[in-house]
Amino acid sequence: MVGETDSAPRHAAYDATIERIVEHAPDTRSIFLRLPPPQRLAFIPGQFISCLIPQDDGVAVRPYSIASNPEDADVLEICLNLVPGGFGSTYLFGLAIGARVRFTGPWGTFTLHRQPEAECVFVAEGTGIAPIRPMLRRALASGGRFPLRLHYAAPGAAHLLYADEFVQAARAHPRFTFAPAVGESLQEVVTRQYLAGDEDRTRHFYICGVGTIVPTLRDLLRGGGYERRAVQYEKW
Amino acid sequence: MAKLRILFETGAPERTIEFDPVKAPFQHDGLPGSVLDILLGHGVHLEHACGGNCACTTCHVIVKGGDGQLSEAEENELDLLDKAPGLTATSRLGCQAVIQDNADVTILIPRFTINAA
Repeated sequence: MVGETDSAPRHAAYDATIERIVEHAPDTRSIFLRLPPPQRLAFIPGQFISCLIPQDDGVAVRPYSIASNPEDADVLEICLNLVPGGFGSTYLFGLAIGARVRFTGPWGTFTLHRQPEAECVFVAEGTGIAPIRPMLRRALASGGRFPLRLHYAAPGAAHLLYADEFVQAARAHPRFTFAPAVGESLQEVVTRQYLAGDEDRTRHFYICGVGTIVPTLRDLLRGGGYERRAVQYEKW
Repeated sequence: MAKLRILFETGAPERTIEFDPVKAPFQHDGLPGSVLDILLGHGVHLEHACGGNCACTTCHVIVKGGDGQLSEAEENELDLLDKAPGLTATSRLGCQAVIQDNADVTILIPRFTINAA
């Protein structure tokens, strides 16, 4: 019985099957989740699903951004790091192809339906690229004349996910610039290019990453004259 | 010790939880000692679609008393609340509002916690 004293999630859960696992690096992988036909998950680029992680004393909820596109909604890709001591990633890294994953969703308000009438700057760090990837694709597909940029930081080339795809997109779309930042400080890049570089404060930013870099960039940009709502972010 | 009184907009009978903040966390999700942590740890349901990571608004609660005995909202929480349906001057995200020791706080759980996406 579900009552006010029941702490289990109440939203309808999907039961997906792991169809494929891609190991980007020993501690970073993509997991492809297939929904049983005819189920599809309608979502907006940037949203996440919440995986239900079994615990001895119930279920814990751990969110993972959807790295695939809404157009491919019968198979969802999530990408994640193995976090030492993190029971969500430890659990998911322990699952093999064919295993079942329960989740709810889609969730989240860090989204992009279509590119705003302004230059868009996407900033991602590590697996923070996951929600940015479908957002960027949607922005490219929505047409428009405004420039699009992606600054993507990772500790090494192996952790720079989907780099080939972004290089190809930059070739196909002259208004898109892919700027990988391997071993480079995003704080310095953003300061140099969008604060010290000019007086233009009309740009829109979409920032995603893990830890303090996200609020640091948010505060830099808002403090530097960009409007609050022009700086959207998700911190994991 | 601290006290958390919970009112439900659904009309369900109110609950009061007395707890020792030092013993937080009481379960897995939300900041230790947060409203979400206290509720889930004492068998009271509150939505928390993002696992209490301050990435959605489904744990939106309205503080009816003891507002000053909660941790201050940080910018991330304020940005999310900005998108929460039914926002009030005393709205908080349950996963982020940490209850201080000796506090006596009353919250209302709205009827609908919606993910405003």
